[in-house]
Amino acid sequence: MSVLAQVTKAVEGFNRFVEQQVSQARSDSQFGEQLMARWQAARGGLGTVTIPTALKLPRLALPLTDEPGEVARYLYGEGLPGEFPFVNAAYREMYLVNAGAKNTEEPTRLFAGLALAEDTNHRFHYLTRHQKNIRLSTAFDGPTLYGLDSDADGVFGKIGEGGVALDTMEDMERLYAGFPLSGEHFSVSMTINGPAPIILAMYVAAAKRRFGPEVVSTLRGTIQADILKEVQAQNEIIFPIEASLRFLADMVEHTTTHLPRWYPISISGYHIAEAGATPVQQAAYTLSNGFTYVELFRDRGLEVKRFGPRLSFFLDCGLDIEYVALARVCRKLWAIGMRDVFGADPPAQLFKLHTQTSGRSLIAQESKNNLTRTAIELVLACLNATNSCHSNSADEPFTTPSEEYVRLAANSQAILLEESGLFKFMMNTLAGSPGMKIVERAVEEGILVEFREIDRLGGVLPAIDQRYQRSQIQAAAHRYEQQINDGTRPIIGLNRYRDETNAAPAVKVVRTPRRKKQLQVDRLEKFKHRNRARTERALDRLATVVESGGNVFKELIHTVECCSLGQITGRLHECVGRHRPMV
Amino acid sequence: MKSKSVRFPDAAPRVAGTLSKRAATPTRVSRRTQLLKPPIRLLTAVPICDGHDSAINTINLEFIHCGVEVVYLGYHRSARDIVRAATQEDVRAIGLSSYNGGHVEFFTEVVELLKRQGANDIGVFGGGGGTITKADAAIMQKNGVDRIFFAGTPLSEIVKFVKIAYGAHRRAGWRARGETISDPDRRIARMLTAAETGDRDEGAYVRGAPAKGSGPITIGITGPGGAGKTTLIDELVLRFLKASPRTRLAILSHDPSLIGQGALLGDRASMVYSQDDRVFMRSLATRGQAGGLSPASGRCLRLLKRGGFDRMFVETVGIGQEAAPFGGEPVDRVILVMSPDYGSRLQLQKIVMLDVADIVVLNKSDLSGAKTAAVEIEQRLALNGRGQKLIQTVARRHRDTGVDELFRLAIS
Repeated sequence: MSVLAQVTKAVEGFNRFVEQQVSQARSDSQFGEQLMARWQAARGGLGTVTIPTALKLPRLALPLTDEPGEVARYLYGEGLPGEFPFVNAAYREMYLVNAGAKNTEEPTRLFAGLALAEDTNHRFHYLTRHQKNIRLSTAFDGPTLYGLDSDADGVFGKIGEGGVALDTMEDMERLYAGFPLSGEHFSVSMTINGPAPIILAMYVAAAKRRFGPEVVSTLRGTIQADILKEVQAQNEIIFPIEASLRFLADMVEHTTTHLPRWYPISISGYHIAEAGATPVQQAAYTLSNGFTYVELFRDRGLEVKRFGPRLSFFLDCGLDIEYVALARVCRKLWAIGMRDVFGADPPAQLFKLHTQTSGRSLIAQESKNNLTRTAIELVLACLNATNSCHSNSADEPFTTPSEEYVRLAANSQAILLEESGLFKFMMNTLAGSPGMKIVERAVEEGILVEFREIDRLGGVLPAIDQRYQRSQIQAAAHRYEQQINDGTRPIIGLNRYRDETNAAPAVKVVRTPRRKKQLQVDRLEKFKHRNRARTERALDRLATVVESGGNVFKELIHTVECCSLGQITGRLHECVGRHRPMV
Repeated sequence: MKSKSVRFPDAAPRVAGTLSKRAATPTRVSRRTQLLKPPIRLLTAVPICDGHDSAINTINLEFIHCGVEVVYLGYHRSARDIVRAATQEDVRAIGLSSYNGGHVEFFTEVVELLKRQGANDIGVFGGGGGTITKADAAIMQKNGVDRIFFAGTPLSEIVKFVKIAYGAHRRAGWRARGETISDPDRRIARMLTAAETGDRDEGAYVRGAPAKGSGPITIGITGPGGAGKTTLIDELVLRFLKASPRTRLAILSHDPSLIGQGALLGDRASMVYSQDDRVFMRSLATRGQAGGLSPASGRCLRLLKRGGFDRMFVETVGIGQEAAPFGGEPVDRVILVMSPDYGSRLQLQKIVMLDVADIVVLNKSDLSGAKTAAVEIEQRLALNGRGQKLIQTVARRHRDTGVDELFRLAIS
């Protein structure tokens, strides 16, 4: 039985178990009494908080019920925050003021990347100048995402556009200069997939060069490295799937031992949703990809106990009603699958989530409306108790975000979580409404329908081969466009209440000037020239490791000392071939 | 009829750009060419370092439903690959969908490369939603791009533009300037167009085709849709190019025309090693002919044979059991590509090509059921008593030993 079939069965079994507890709580008075005692204890143990208006509130809102069946459904079916199956939250107090030690960081994590490494470094310093916890999130330019050097044929115009240009470990040193990479309150995130192992190797090598070899075990951060969603949605994969998965597993194996604070993969639904998937498809493909990775790493001999807690997730949050509860359902299904199918302990059952508001929901017309869209999405993301969040800038439809709009986006999170009282005094303020529960059920059933279909096709990898996910996503994207076109999906300012007089966006466009692009190419050439005597030998050694089945990631940490990104991907292509695009 | 529209994610206002002078210049169309007007052929692609293929997929579909033949090159394609493909395919124009920035440079590079190849009769148009500003579009159009479409443009408007700008017969376009076609690939490409349209005037170029020996060994590749023909050819191409640094190859690929409509010629999009200066590829739509090839296949093949290539491949459309596509064509060796899912053993008896093929390839031989299939096909071939070879491959696997074996047979 495939892993997805096992997960589906486990979830069905869990739901039956919950219903049994519900009827037992009602019929078996002894069990009911035990349960009510537990319930009273939970209620009694709640801390209280006096808010600035002098109102006194408990730090957690629990359902106002004394009916044993309902109590059983709550305690077993969704759990208190931080308790299995984690429907309400992964941790107990999340965004609360003076929350427990486990989660003292504000969830704001803003994505940035522009022009050259020093420009992005400057932006990072600007963004974090008031933050106690420094959480950088890095976007790379097109050539870097595709593993090409800035001097590659035909990519000049793309250097530093939409993200930072990065060719060598020296760029990596410039990118995070001045930040305490091993600091307790520092973490970095890198959004890159196809060449992810090479990029992380550069980060490790750059950190070692600056702080010495002992820094490695203290490095903290996340690299996306999610190959499956690239094949399904975003098309940024450069090596064939099997080879990509092997490089990934090498990286996971190495980081779980040597970089214990690193998250070597961020299993992402964001790009799946941006490519047009419905919220249910987003959740179903993300979860099924996640279980596939777990199976892959486990079958390679890695321990679920070791790598399980190092997996993290990344979801899109748009305006559809499913987003009221999407992440709540994901946490539940992940916890059940990990516990019941893979035997994971609690730390490996957590669906640790980064959310980004929907880029697709933003439009160019009357673009200041995007502030409202993003604000609503932020509320939805926090209702789902996301662990960290990126809010989009309103000018994103036409440009790399400008400082003004980045600042507004960051402030929107501060306003929601620090200024408004909605999330900072009490957990579950709005959780558990009848509507939320109904959406949860519908979403869960939708996800299981997808799981069964993927299982029928033989699992995630065979389904990819049969283009299942791609064609489903494309069909959903097509429907979405048709709905906009026929008006069944209103988009204010586009197909409704359109302001014909003020259609052109008057927003400053951020572009990388030609001289900077040239500077990047010149630097790269100097690097290549300086290292020319060592390059070939290092690449040969890398190729030997690839061919002999050794750990490629471990070797890459040495290779990046004297080879550029493009030189390395070039050699790896010779060893394992190129990804054949799916169309 | 309500017009469909593509909403680029950054939807900008629905504003029509201006046609550049070159594209807007009305071309005189004779009555004869109007009557026999062949479908417009376009090439579409997404630029290098860009994987945003959602908009182009929608636009491709609209084009083919409006009678256009679209050669789709896929995403993450360099300007050089795009221009090479466009000149080989001799399309009327290149449509680019760009979302990852750097569009001013990229579009300009495409226009410049076309000029350098003497192929500036091939138009360039495109879009990229809100990522391309009006100021950018103005620069791009000044640099020779015919038209940039902004977000929110109805698809019907794009189709209308294509029909007006590129629908007229081109003869007047390139001949009037008295250009000579110096690039040999470009020359062959133009002759293939003449061969395909059966145009009497351009037919002169067919007669003038360079002759060179008896022509290369031509390998016909056929089989049901989805068996992996294109992947197999691409893997063979990789081996040919590696084996000999001077080898030049030609590929004549076929895709079906929709009834009364255009065609999506999509084989190039999944080929990674065949985008090379040493590979000449041409995609033909079947234009109403059943059986796997186009009415012009024979003419095109004879032309290509005189093009100085070392090896040629002809790929048919996905065929049915009764088809025998290479009957009258000058093909030296026939490979039938199958996958293990042909159905029952009885079905094998009905496949005509199993009698005709010189080599039978069982691709996807890593699938369950492949062992049974291999035994059944072996038995079927043994009955023929012609010594036909059965080779098992997994073409999607890098350095597959089955493909190596096929390659050894193909070079011999």
